[in-house]
Amino acid sequence: MNQSPSSPPRPGAPQGPKPDPARPLEQELGSQALNEALKSGFRVIHWLMILVLISALFSGIVTIQPNEVAVILRFGKAVETRGDRLLQPGLHFAFPYPIDEIVRIPVGLSQTVQSTIGWYATTPELEAKNQEPPARDALTPGADGYLITSDGNILHCRATLKYRITDPVRHAFRFREMKSILQNALNNALLHGASEFTADAALYRRKIEFKEAVIEHLSERIRSQELGITLDPLDIQVAAPLSVRPAFEAVLAAEQERSQRINEAQADAGQTILKSAGESNAVHSASLAASNQMVLAVAAEAQFFSAQRHHFEANPKLVSQRLITETLERVFTNAQDKFILPAGHPGVARELRLQLNREPVRLTTKEPQL
Amino acid sequence: MKRNLITTLAGLLLGLFFITLLTLFQLRESEIGVVTTFGRFSRSLSDPGLYARWPWPVQRIYRFDKRIQNFERKFEQTTTADGRSLIISAFLGYRISNPRLFLERFAGGDLTSAELNLEGLLRDTKNGVIGRHAFSDLISTNRARVKLRDIEQEMLTLIQPKAESNYGITIELLGIKQLGLPESITSKVFERMKAERQRLVKQFQSEGEAEAIRIQADADRIRQEILSQAEAQAMVIRGQGEAEAAKSYAIFEQNPELAVFLIQLNALSASLKDRSTLVLDPQTPPFNLLKGHLPEKPASAGKSPNSTSDRP
Repeated sequence: MNQSPSSPPRPGAPQGPKPDPARPLEQELGSQALNEALKSGFRVIHWLMILVLISALFSGIVTIQPNEVAVILRFGKAVETRGDRLLQPGLHFAFPYPIDEIVRIPVGLSQTVQSTIGWYATTPELEAKNQEPPARDALTPGADGYLITSDGNILHCRATLKYRITDPVRHAFRFREMKSILQNALNNALLHGASEFTADAALYRRKIEFKEAVIEHLSERIRSQELGITLDPLDIQVAAPLSVRPAFEAVLAAEQERSQRINEAQADAGQTILKSAGESNAVHSASLAASNQMVLAVAAEAQFFSAQRHHFEANPKLVSQRLITETLERVFTNAQDKFILPAGHPGVARELRLQLNREPVRLTTKEPQL
Repeated sequence: MKRNLITTLAGLLLGLFFITLLTLFQLRESEIGVVTTFGRFSRSLSDPGLYARWPWPVQRIYRFDKRIQNFERKFEQTTTADGRSLIISAFLGYRISNPRLFLERFAGGDLTSAELNLEGLLRDTKNGVIGRHAFSDLISTNRARVKLRDIEQEMLTLIQPKAESNYGITIELLGIKQLGLPESITSKVFERMKAERQRLVKQFQSEGEAEAIRIQADADRIRQEILSQAEAQAMVIRGQGEAEAAKSYAIFEQNPELAVFLIQLNALSASLKDRSTLVLDPQTPPFNLLKGHLPEKPASAGKSPNSTSDRP
């Protein structure tokens, strides 16, 4: 039988160190404190377990956002819900992990991938300032991106692809790095597109066709690899190499000059033709007028002749003198300067000097003469 | 008593949970796996779901991602059949299709080690295929000659069985990612491009001038044709006028002497029409009147005006 620490020592028993009267009380208090601490700890653990249980139960309640769908993996296997493996946007219930796992797939979001092979080396700072790096006489493989065109020339090209996921299950469970795969499909499409166009065509003359060719190659890859995405419009930026750009710009300027020269020539030609049409009309009108005038003049002369003929035949001298005098009257009246020289002495030579200004040449329409 | 029961149940549940963890495992939808027993192959797992297992160290589970993974490596120089240097990089999409072989070939299914091997395989295939093709099969203005797609297919056909049998990997897709030229060649290309542009500049300038000259020459020709036609029409009109006038000329035949006289008068009048300067003798009628001369006796009737001695 154990003796309680508070019972008095037996007579004859060996005497130990004399017990401290305060010690049993301290031990008891310590035991009580430990007991209380354990109880408190268990209470905390108890509540924590309840909390964990509640949170585990509520972890099964999931909300699928409007721009996503989800698949429930039950013990790792996709669960079919209502004939479809996809959970549409809304509130859903699933068992807590590790029984169920929710895989969210952003189907509505437009996602972006940029090509990585075609653009010259630049820095984010220069890009932010919309500036270009200095032109260099050669391109470094690996650092500078570029495309080789069908004519063996070099050009820079950067494509930005936007896409949406249309087959979420394929996207989630068939491809591990969809963006990388898509990026390489885009790079490959640029490479194939460039192989079909000359640098000039891709840069200027057939820019749209080049873009369409890239889209066609990309679409073919997406179809053949069954990537389960839909393409949004593709943005393609094409540029001549920096060191060759002035030469390209000179070509553009020369093309412009050629067009301008041709336009000017066409304008001059049009003017010449219009002018000649006017001249043609003038010639036609003049000939018509001259012809009419001649006919009328001849008719008038004929009429005059007929009127004078009987008088002339009756007295030719008189009629002729009259007509001469009338003519001289008109002539003298129209004459600007008239000099009448006095009669000289017979047998003496006379000298007359007139200083006259030269008359300007005047072109006149040729008139028909009788 | 009640507390003991709860504690016992909790302990049982906890124990059950640990036993479950040790004896069951999941394979996700995107995974395939291999089970080994004391290090020896037991079975392959290709379908997702819940599986039983012996606890470690009896059985060990190896899981691999069965999704298609992207693989690409260095931009490496190679040579075409006609000796042209080319820098080329290719990409491929692969998936682990035979997990047992994959596990055996690569210790513990080490993906890094697998990709190193895959890199070597891709390099050999790429160099082999490119080395069989001329440069013009890759880059040519003759579109029918470009065989990029065929070259990619050739590489895929070549690499597929090797990857499958050696590594348990299926190559699902393969493509050329980038074509490049050695740095020294790019500078030559730039020089050629500049020379081509200069030639184009001259060509455009010449074309513009030539086209302008042609257009102007055409316009001049058209002008000449129009004016010639106009002149021809004018001539016709004048001819018609002459024909019309000829009817009136017939009247003059009634007295040719008078007709000639009238024509001469008209000519005189026309020639001295404007701004003439006349130097006259006082004998000239009618200025002879200024000298007090009486008019001469008129000539006898029927005498021709040409026969008179008077000066007009």
